[in-house]
Amino acid sequence: MIEIKTVKEFVENADSIDFDDFISSVIEKCEKIQSKYQPFITINKNHAKPKKGLIHALPVSVKDCICTKDLQSTAGSKILEGYIPPFDATCVTKIKQQGGVIIGKTTQDEFGFGTFNVNSKYAIPKNPFDVERSCGGSSGGAGCITAAADFPHIAIAESTGGSITAPAAFTGTYGLTPTYGRVSRYGLIDYANSMDKIGVIAKSTYDIALMLSIISGYDPLDSTSADLAEQDFTKFIGKDIKGMKIAVPKEYFGEGVDKKIADLIWEKIKQLESLGASYEEISLPMTKYAIPAYYIIAVSEASTNLAKFCGLRYGLHKQLSGNFDEYFASVRSQGFGEETKRRIILGTYARMAGFRDAYYLKALKIRTLIIQEFKKTFKSFDIIAAPSMPVLPLKFSEIENLKPIENYMMDILTIAPNMAGIPMISVPAGLINGLPAGLHLMADHFNEAALIKASSSLEGLE
Amino acid sequence: MKMMMGIEVHCQLSSKSKLFCSCSTDTKDKNPNENTCPICLGFPGSKPKVNKAVIDYGIMVAKALNCKVAEKMYFSRKSYFYPDMSKNFQITQYEIPLAVNGFLEIDGEKIRIKRIHIEEDPAKLVHKGGDITTASYVLIDYNRAGMPLLEIVTEPDFTTPKQVRLFLEKLSSILEHLGVYEAEREASLRVDANISLEGGERIEIKNITGFADVEKALNYEIVRQRGLLRMNMKVERETRHFDADRRVTKSLRKKEYEEDYGYIFDPDLAEVEISKEWLNRIAAKMPELPDQRVQRFVKQYGIDEYQAKVIVYTDKNLADFFEKCCERYKNAEKAAKWIITYLLKSLNWHSISIKQSKVNVDSFIEFLELMDSNTITERYAKELIKEYVDTGISPKELIKGKVKSLSEKDLKDIILKVLEENQKAVQEYLQGKEKSIEFLIGQVLVKTKKQADPKIIRKILLSCIEK
Repeated sequence: MIEIKTVKEFVENADSIDFDDFISSVIEKCEKIQSKYQPFITINKNHAKPKKGLIHALPVSVKDCICTKDLQSTAGSKILEGYIPPFDATCVTKIKQQGGVIIGKTTQDEFGFGTFNVNSKYAIPKNPFDVERSCGGSSGGAGCITAAADFPHIAIAESTGGSITAPAAFTGTYGLTPTYGRVSRYGLIDYANSMDKIGVIAKSTYDIALMLSIISGYDPLDSTSADLAEQDFTKFIGKDIKGMKIAVPKEYFGEGVDKKIADLIWEKIKQLESLGASYEEISLPMTKYAIPAYYIIAVSEASTNLAKFCGLRYGLHKQLSGNFDEYFASVRSQGFGEETKRRIILGTYARMAGFRDAYYLKALKIRTLIIQEFKKTFKSFDIIAAPSMPVLPLKFSEIENLKPIENYMMDILTIAPNMAGIPMISVPAGLINGLPAGLHLMADHFNEAALIKASSSLEGLE
Repeated sequence: MKMMMGIEVHCQLSSKSKLFCSCSTDTKDKNPNENTCPICLGFPGSKPKVNKAVIDYGIMVAKALNCKVAEKMYFSRKSYFYPDMSKNFQITQYEIPLAVNGFLEIDGEKIRIKRIHIEEDPAKLVHKGGDITTASYVLIDYNRAGMPLLEIVTEPDFTTPKQVRLFLEKLSSILEHLGVYEAEREASLRVDANISLEGGERIEIKNITGFADVEKALNYEIVRQRGLLRMNMKVERETRHFDADRRVTKSLRKKEYEEDYGYIFDPDLAEVEISKEWLNRIAAKMPELPDQRVQRFVKQYGIDEYQAKVIVYTDKNLADFFEKCCERYKNAEKAAKWIITYLLKSLNWHSISIKQSKVNVDSFIEFLELMDSNTITERYAKELIKEYVDTGISPKELIKGKVKSLSEKDLKDIILKVLEENQKAVQEYLQGKEKSIEFLIGQVLVKTKKQADPKIIRKILLSCIEK
């Protein structure tokens, strides 16, 4: 087998590989990686010959909350253990049509509820930079396998409030969260439908752009999918960024953000400046309202989404006994983890008559104001630059000691853009004490092109 | 005693596919759970997609009920755990429904329509070994899950249970005229009725299927609640269930507090904008509505308004039947009379609609013509129509061998025989007891097996007596 490391080289030489040899060596490698870092819930060992296409024979991992036909999809929850979806998510169908090979389902926090991929009764992924540390979450497995794989590979991940940015930053990979509606959500096991976005984690901007070109586009099965023609995003790679205007919001460098990370990000902004961009410091005062509003909307939606898991039709079920209420209560008590139960209770509370106006409806209004604030900013700027995460990858022992509210605060830099549904990319910014940090670039709705240009311009620079 | 009554009507719309997926709505001859897919079963990852045809139907109904249609409407999730719910939330409309503020006139009185909204039907529960309160286990059939429902909510404007029934009949006729609903489908129209008497709290009776049952259930509740109030007992807020076999309502659950469904907007469904163009397109294809049809029947066929209303409001198919008859049978008044008084009575006796029956236009005209040609008497016709509705056999066939045409001479012979056998009655008549003649006519009818016309009998009878 020819040693090909990058996706670009691989797809250009795809015709020359022997698929059976190639895929069995990839699966063998996955198993080795699994024993060391645990990025998978399921490794897929059954492979038919892939179709010819843009990514013929390319190994693709898929976050476990995205349905794959005939391959267990649990969304990281024991309540869905053994669940084999009868259909592929639209993005998976598109990947298969272009010849992609689904090598496995990656770990995550249960239903996406977490920032460090520790809220799960399945394997917890370990950071390839330091196995004592978290890969970030909730798409922890996607970041982990991307960082650990020494074969060409792209990961499909998903973000609701920062679940692509966090693992990308913690594992030193690229993570794109597309505009809400850019990629069909059909087949995604919901967390908070109005904010869930399927995206990509990969080793280079090119890989990101290639995969985005494949999975994006209008899908009649998803009412919230944007009616836009498919396009080739790789054409923006390496495009000149002269004249690009960058906004640097002071709220994203404030209290709680590691000073070393802030300094590193400033270096990257200066690099962009040296390539012809200009920057200006600005203020996004709505930022401070983002976390409470996000959690209210997210848990409200999540608590309704999770109601369907009651042990009647799929997933965990038990011997039928007692009445319906007793039965489903016992299935849910056993199948859901602690954080999931916490969010169901919070969400049910926020939707209750009497509280609904003060919480749920008010949070929706705040979201509108946050969107307006971003829209206003993008009238004068092409991108917003900030750190991806306020901290370096945390040790598992440190995470254990975080209170829920401290835990939620870790999302402070990613929540607002995720709520607004704008696209964002986490770009590896370098190492601090041997641990990776990420530069976060955000752009206006459907302006992924600006992110790809800026991200690719930094590649190869140190 | 003052009382308030209002209803919520759930009408299953007859679109080809379900509300949020492409599964067929035709469950006839289908096995349980055959018309299902990941969407209507609420499988993880599946997403609903609105069937625009259902919104078309909804707009038609809203217009027919004089409602204001929303410019933008939204779907919401109504959360509660129940085994008939595939997602344990129902996709319905809450804040901004399809339409609001309409009315329907029942005999000159306006019943206000509060709102009309679109929602998905839950699965069907089959209670085994008893009814909802006593069943030992329950089976779930998701063929019904995701069927499009239109919920029509009235203000509490009804003054009598009968008025509720009339409202439902007219509403059902409107829905049929619009072609958005199939009355024959099982449980295609379900009613929740609420009623409160002065001094008592509101009682809701859930899920009643027949119009007559709605009337019965409400009448039962009036008697029950009046009884309680007269004995100074409390009528507490509760939900009841109507037992159609025993014709009583039974307590289902006490309502200690307002149910909390934790509504949120359904984030999988984008807002639906109902543009002027859309409304105009629907307006252009609105068919003739029952009220307009009643007026046309009065004008075109010369029948009276009461007759026209009975024909049109009972059932669209009956009105179609009447019109088809009138195309070839010119005595519309006679057709109307026989349809309303005798045909409908026989159909009701069997609890079937004209469409379900074996009656057809050709044989019905044949039946009317048998009377016109004096082949059968009206009196015999009233008997014959029952047999005709029962069997569907053409009236001409039915009377074969039964009706010999009775010659005037034969009839005269019978009459003479009757006079001979009933001398006393003849004497009484001659002494001025007018009624005796009726007795004699009756005797002749018995002897002729009702095959002679009483008017003719009377004529011959009188001439014979005078001789």
